[in-house]
Parts: sequence; C-alpha cells; structure tokens
Amino acid sequence: MLRLFLSLILAVSFFGSFSAKAETELWGDFSGVTLRVKLIGGGQYEGLYNEVIPWWEENTGGKIEIVTQKNHFELDKEIKKDIASGNLDFCVASNHTSFASQYGNIYTDLNNIMPASVLADYTPLILEHSTVDGRLVQMPRHSDVSNLYYQKSLYEDADNKANFKAKYGYDLTPPETWDQVKDQAIFFSNPPDFYGTQYVGKEEAIAGRFYELVIANGGALFDEDYRPIFNSAAGVEALQWFIDLYNAKAVPDGVLNYLWDDTGLGFASGTIAMNLDWAGWAGFFNDPENSKVAGDIGLVRAPMGSGGLRTGWSGSHSFSMTESCPDKEAAASFLWALTSNKAQMIEARGGLSPTRPAIWDAIIAEKKAEGDEFMLMVFETFKMSLAEDAFTPPLIPEWIEFTNVLYPELQAAILGDKSPEDALATASKKATEIMEDAGYF
Amino acid sequence: MRKFLNGPWVLLMPTLIILTCVVLLPLLLSLWTSFTPFKLTKPDTLYRFVGFRNYERLIGDIDFWIAFGRTVLFLAIALNLELVFGLGIALLINKITYGQRTLRTLMMFPMMFSPILVGFQWKYIFNDNIGLMNNFLREFGVIQPIPWLVDGILANVSIMAAEIWSSTSVFAILLLAGLLGIPKDPIEAAKVDGCNSWQVFKNITLPFLMPFVFIAMTIRSLDVARAYDIVQMMTGGGPAKRTELLWTLISRTGYVDAKMGMANAMSYISIFLSIAFTFFFFYKLVEARQRLSYE
Repeated sequence: MLRLFLSLILAVSFFGSFSAKAETELWGDFSGVTLRVKLIGGGQYEGLYNEVIPWWEENTGGKIEIVTQKNHFELDKEIKKDIASGNLDFCVASNHTSFASQYGNIYTDLNNIMPASVLADYTPLILEHSTVDGRLVQMPRHSDVSNLYYQKSLYEDADNKANFKAKYGYDLTPPETWDQVKDQAIFFSNPPDFYGTQYVGKEEAIAGRFYELVIANGGALFDEDYRPIFNSAAGVEALQWFIDLYNAKAVPDGVLNYLWDDTGLGFASGTIAMNLDWAGWAGFFNDPENSKVAGDIGLVRAPMGSGGLRTGWSGSHSFSMTESCPDKEAAASFLWALTSNKAQMIEARGGLSPTRPAIWDAIIAEKKAEGDEFMLMVFETFKMSLAEDAFTPPLIPEWIEFTNVLYPELQAAILGDKSPEDALATASKKATEIMEDAGYF
Repeated sequence: MRKFLNGPWVLLMPTLIILTCVVLLPLLLSLWTSFTPFKLTKPDTLYRFVGFRNYERLIGDIDFWIAFGRTVLFLAIALNLELVFGLGIALLINKITYGQRTLRTLMMFPMMFSPILVGFQWKYIFNDNIGLMNNFLREFGVIQPIPWLVDGILANVSIMAAEIWSSTSVFAILLLAGLLGIPKDPIEAAKVDGCNSWQVFKNITLPFLMPFVFIAMTIRSLDVARAYDIVQMMTGGGPAKRTELLWTLISRTGYVDAKMGMANAMSYISIFLSIAFTFFFFYKLVEARQRLSYE
C-alpha cells in the first residue's frame, strides 16, 4: 500500500499553449530514495528521459539511477538473464505489451498500487492490453500501429493515372485493399532505382506483418486452445502477397534483412512509393533536412485484406515496476511521471501516439492552432486507426519463441525455397510443439 | 595430515580452487542444465531433470545439423583462407627492409575493431541498395543490384569476407614471428646449392614455419566463435536460415527463446567440434615439431 505521505492531488496541468483535462498527479516526498531503472534506449526514446527525470527529481527529492539503457531486444535478453540469476535489483524497467507476458510474476500488479483515479486517465482498451493474467503489469507509454504513407505526387501525375487505369481497369487512388497495394506497387516499381513498397523482412517484424494480414484476410494464428491454424487459405493468401511482391521486384532485393530503421530510412530516401509504418516516423518523413519526400506525403489508414478487415497489429511501449522494488511508492510516482500528460505531450509532439485520450485531444487542438496540416492528418489517421483497427498479437509468453519458428519459414517461401503451403505446414508443426511443451494442450 | 600440509598439494590448492570456481563449476552447471528444460524466465525449471530429452530432440532436428555442417564448412574455409592470406602478408612484410614496423602496426588495425563494428561496416558494404560494393560494380555496368546478403552462397561469402578481413592479421603476425625466428644459414646454403625461391620456401621455410601455422590454427579455431557478432549484425543467420551457424542458433535459442537447457545441449554437442579441431591441430603441431627435430 502507498505510504500516507504520498500526495494524491487533482490538478490541472498546463504546458505549452494547451491546457489538458484535469489529471490526477502522483507526487510525494522521496528525499533519500534512489530508484534503479532499466530503460529502452535510442534516439526516439531518450528525449523523454531528459525531460521527465529532472522534473521528477526536482519535485520529489528522489534520484534516478539509470542502470541500463539499450535497445529493446537487448534489454529483453538482459531481463531474462536477471530473472534466471534472481538478480532483480532494479525498480522500474521499460516493457512492451508483446514482451510482458514472458516475464512471469517479476512485475507488480499495478492495480494494487496505482489509484483508480490515475488509471482512469488512460485509454481503457490499452490498459486491458497491458494486463497479463488479470494483473496490470505495465503503464502504457505510447502505442504502435501502422498506417500507409505514400508519395502524393505519384497519385497526382496524369500519365500515371491514365496508364494505371489502362493496365488494371480501375482508378489510381491511395489503396483501400492490400490487393490494390500489390497492383500499385508493381505499377510504380522501376528497379533498382525505385520500388513500389517494402516490408520488414525478418524476426518478429515480418511475423507480425504476416499475422495482421492473416487477420485482415479473415483467418487467425491460433484457435481458442492455442492450436496453430494459420496454415489455412487466409494464411497462404497472406504469404502469397509477400511472395508476389518479391518476385515482381516491387520491393528491394535485400528486404528480407530489413527491420524498422531500414524501411523508415528507405521511404525517406525517396525511392519507395508506399510504406506501412508507425506514427513515430511522420515528423522525420516530413523534415526536408532528413527526407527527400518532405512535403509530398499522403497517409491513409492501413488497407483491408480479403476478409474486409484492416491490418492493425498493435502494441504499446510501457514501463513496469518490479515486485522486489523496496520503494514502491516512489516507483509508482515515477511510473506516473513517465506516462503523465506532460510526458505524453512531449512524445506526441514528436509524432508518437499517446495512451491518454486527453492527449489525443490536446495534440490535435495544438496542431490545428499551429496550422500544421500534415501532423494533423497524421494524428487524426492514427487516432482512428488505434480506435477502430488495432489488435494485439496473442498476449502469451510464447509469442516471441513462436515468431522465431515462423519467420524463417516465411522467408523460405518468399525466396522460393519452399511453397507457401510447405512453409506454413513446417511452421505450424513447430508451433504445435511449442504450444504442447507450454502445456496449452 | 602434516605430510599433506607440507606436500605439493598445498601449493596447488589456490590454483585448483580458482579453476574449480571459474571453470569446472560453470561447466558442470551448464552440463546439468542440458538435462533439464531450463528456461531463463522460469528459474524453477532448473531442477526438473528430463534425462537426454534435449539431446534426443537435437539428434532428430535437421535444422541443427544443417547449422552444424555449415559451421564446420565455414571454419574450414575461413581458417584456411586466413592462413593463406596471412602467410602471404607475412612473407611480403618479411621481405621489406624499410617501413616494416609501420606496416606491422597497420596490419593490426582490423583486429582493433570490435566484431560488432566489423559486422555493421560490412553490412553496409554489402547492402544491396546503398552499399559500396553494388555502387562500385555499377560503375562497371552491373546495373542490377546483387543481393549479397540474401543469396545463399553470396551471403555466406560476404560473411566470410568480413571474418577474413577481421582476423587474417592474427595469422600474419604469428607467422611473421615464425619467419623472423628462422635461422638464415640453411636458406643461404640452399641458395648456394642452386635451389630456386620456391624450393627454398617449400623445403626450408615452410617446415620451419609449420609449428607456428598449427599454433595459429589452434588459437583461431578456439577464437573463431567471436565471429558470432559479425554474423548477427550482417544477417542474423538468415534469410531463411541460409547463413545460420551454430553460434546464432544457440544464442537465439538461449537468450531470445530463453530455452537455456536446450541451448546448452546444443553447446555440448558443438564442443565436440571444437575439441576435434583442437585435437587435430595439436596432433599436427607435435608432428611438425618432431619432423623439424629429425631434420
């Protein structure tokens, strides 16, 4: 339970030109307390720490000691080693909804720590996704979902319009379905100078992209008992989409080694017509110093699969508190600060999607006031997408292990080493072993 | 008791204790985990004995054996090419009389880079879109980009190129030390007797150098697993497992999938590979020394 001296006040936060809705703040006097924390590092993540940590230290008298700051996959390995060695000598760590279920009970149930009035400030669905086995193990920082960026001028070009209509029999407009994405990507491609699109090609990244396309095609990865069922018509259709683009050279040859930075930088280089990506890149794409497509970017909601659903693989970056933390009150206060209105507004200004409804309203109001039409479009599109299209991967501890057996098979089919049916059959067999070992059936 | 306390065992005790703590106990612990379903995220599984189940699964796991075979091939080709290039460099540097020290220092530069940096650097060189290699080839009319890190053979060649660049200087330095230690008299006598350069190299220089060759081979065969970082950075063992080596497979199984019991079983099987290489090179080293002393 929280100590009595932890102040719980209802306040109105003011920052910038905007006044957000009333926020429950969680300050306290933590003089003499030092919180050891392990945080995700990297350019897009560290700006928050530079602002929030001094702010929290100044207001509470506590100190933050950053023990580790590294990319999420390395952090994940480190925390697994910490669990194995029983050396959980830190209080707060970065987490993610896709990773959280792996870590067992090392993180505290925040339902017992965070006042209900604090939790009420977050989007309920995102808190639900942050819950593992009924325990709220993370406070959501910002959410990920992907939508389709495209080069506007390609769609405004009269020759492109006429040629496309003549070849495919329908008008060239930003795509509404993944089949249209395929047509348009092949139409725009002129390798090796220009490609219609690209995709992340390895590890969890391509497994997640395949997953969302299976869902959009009306399929599923697992049945209710977690038996793999992705070796289906919807699964083969999804995999065939990747194969067709690769064979048509509508994506770069090296795409199977691409991860998120490669696709983002590729679109900014001006050599890619369409790019499915998250909101965090928006500001970069539209910055003339970094991007050759600045000022020429359109954005539409992620297209639909054959099942009539839009793709919407989603998750949230988050922060968790260890069960072993000796200063849970201070850690709770720090968790709140890291995901507070102030913190989320800082990240929203960089293009990241907030997890508090108040910040969506605030950032949209701010962009309207500034007359920033591009970022306004970005926030409105992502807000709608997160509200209507987003879905998480199965929140099970075996998710990452499962993606590690799935992605080499997807790659083998894309490269032509196996047929899509053979590749999915092999992946399904291995996934069944994982689920059996984990005791699902 | 008094006899024991005054005997050599007392002097050996500190060494034995340190070796037991630092080497033997971790080895025994990892051996034990290979007989358990130990998952990093479930520490309790460390105490569940499952016998040879992990090993039985590995025997039937075709992916593991393909990675095993690829690792043997990788080691054999990379080490031999490093030896050839290292020997060539050592012979050339041994010939020159001016600037030898500077060249020796320059030669060591690749060793100063961490394998992670080497991996990044060569990943960029072989990038199909913006890489130096394809842009260079484009100047010579190769318009279609070559997918260096995707094609099964090219990807392995690319990784090998990075590994050879990074480690050839180890061979060169060890062999150069050997060359500097060769007595001049037999070489001069052979030349007086009318031997040409190839005959001198084949019959005098090389036999003198063979112990150094096998020492270098032994050191490198034990040390070559450092190339894990290079492979991880360049391809991560993919695409479609085309560059999967034991090191990437074991690392992914142990730290990403958290299946440390299975990863340790893989490690113990692969240890036989290291032992085989080391035993072979030591055998050849002893043989080369004996031949040298007979001659």
